[in-house]
Amino acid sequence: MGRHLYKLKTQNDLETVLSIKGLSKHYGRVKALDGLNLEVKKGDVFGILGPNGSGKTTTLGIILSVINQTEGEFEWFGRKADRDTRKTIGAILEHPIFYPYLTGVQNLKIVCDIKEVPYSRVDEVIRQVGLEERKDSKFKTYSLGMKQRLSIASALLCDPTVMILDEPTNGLDPQGIAEIRELIIEIANGGKTIIIASHLLDEVQKVCSHFCVLQRGKLIYNGLVEDVGKGAVSLEVKADSENIEEVLVASKMGSAVKRERDKYIMTMEEGFTAADVNAYLFQHGITAKHLLVQVKSLEKQFLEILADSKKGGAQ
Amino acid sequence: MIRLLKIELKKVMPSRAFKVLAIMYIVAMVIISVGVMPFFQYLKNKFADFDLDGVDPTIIPFYEFPDIWQNLTSVMIWFKMLLGFSLIFSITNEYSYRTIRQNVIDGLTKHEFIWSKIIMAAFLSAVSTAALFVLGMITGLIYSSDISFVSIFSDSYFLIAFFFQLLAFLLFTLFVGTLIRKSIIAMGVLIFWVLAVENGFYVWSKVKNIEWVEYLLPVKSINALIHNPFPKYAFMEIQDYVALPEMGLVILWAALFYWATTKLVVGRDL
Repeated sequence: MGRHLYKLKTQNDLETVLSIKGLSKHYGRVKALDGLNLEVKKGDVFGILGPNGSGKTTTLGIILSVINQTEGEFEWFGRKADRDTRKTIGAILEHPIFYPYLTGVQNLKIVCDIKEVPYSRVDEVIRQVGLEERKDSKFKTYSLGMKQRLSIASALLCDPTVMILDEPTNGLDPQGIAEIRELIIEIANGGKTIIIASHLLDEVQKVCSHFCVLQRGKLIYNGLVEDVGKGAVSLEVKADSENIEEVLVASKMGSAVKRERDKYIMTMEEGFTAADVNAYLFQHGITAKHLLVQVKSLEKQFLEILADSKKGGAQ
Repeated sequence: MIRLLKIELKKVMPSRAFKVLAIMYIVAMVIISVGVMPFFQYLKNKFADFDLDGVDPTIIPFYEFPDIWQNLTSVMIWFKMLLGFSLIFSITNEYSYRTIRQNVIDGLTKHEFIWSKIIMAAFLSAVSTAALFVLGMITGLIYSSDISFVSIFSDSYFLIAFFFQLLAFLLFTLFVGTLIRKSIIAMGVLIFWVLAVENGFYVWSKVKNIEWVEYLLPVKSINALIHNPFPKYAFMEIQDYVALPEMGLVILWAALFYWATTKLVVGRDL
């Protein structure tokens, strides 16, 4: 029994890719990050959401060892970051950074030397991102899309176990955005762990399995994307009836009823469906002419979370 | 170590600033190593034109073993600023392009980053020293009357001192570049420091007759390692050897700049 438990525990430890404990970063009086705790498990696609200046990039900077934390610690793969940790991580940050006077290939070869990866990988990743034609042009002559693709190529060089992306689609055209999303999903399907910082909720909802919300350096939400909207289904009802609001409230199928111009929006209690409401209304002599089920979007949830935390802060 | 040198060479070699500075440095070295005697010859002819037959600079045994080593190294060290500029360029570019941040994200530690620059500085110093040795051997063998083993190599330790001078100076420029992070300003500060600040203090200390001030000036201490040999051709007494305490001082300065650079890079957020 004891042995069994032990085995379970080690397996659990192995599965934790990144754990952050009480991480803080202060710039003078400003607390860019304030006691952050997070766990990212193997295979997660983890989104870090937050408005601008909420501490997303600071967090990524610290776990990538370019920013020194004021307090707290973090562990990669169950141990402190050492000189080989970052060689197995691929990072795509907001602005692709390379030596402008060197060609794409020359730049990637430097990354090969840093990550101790054979040069043969260079051609493979260049093909992967479709940059063959311009691989011998200087980086400074690249368009933003090509620069971003080179930085993806660079992140793929070491066949990373973890990918980190900071606002990966910022400044890209729709096609570029679609390409990046496809790539993220492709990598995630390969069983890799991905950490994405973004202020685009839609993006997180489309690609992430887990997400957390930061505000002013504090963690205010942490959970599954799947859970978003659970018990948060709302129903739009339209009917030509005077007492519809009373009937809806009396049905006790929803936690709240709100009027929005000519329609009523009811937040559903768990266990009830639109069909139940329709049947109930019919029993009470009301024929609904419009019934629409709305799953609450991450955006709404996100704004609610932010609003809640503000209220909490005011109390 | 080889890995760090490979990284650094890949970064620096294709850069235009480095190419231009390296070519200027090589040209300077070749001129000094082979051009002084032809220049003296030219002067002699000119003097002859002005009926100054008595003055014959070609009798100065500039390229004669073993004096050649002190002569060459003490002149060549004037051009260390060219190598210093190339190092300042390479370090300040890392900051202005933010590639130092990317390097660390990719997996280089901050210490490895500094060491890649130091190894490059050592590499440049070693290549300069080796090139000066080869050129010195060639011209020495051409112009010397005494080419016994002892006379050729007896003073060649000046080359080792030259290597340390270069390395210490390059560590100083590395520190200046890391401190200031902007290439043009860093170069301005470097020139201002060497020409105005150090010379200012130096002259002031001579006027006030305070000897130890010179040792507090890094570039003066580095320059002083190999004493100027030329007054001896006017029959004045010179120090024709490398003094160990002076060598110790240069190494101390180098260690201090290494320590300060590390402190800056490790302590700063990227």
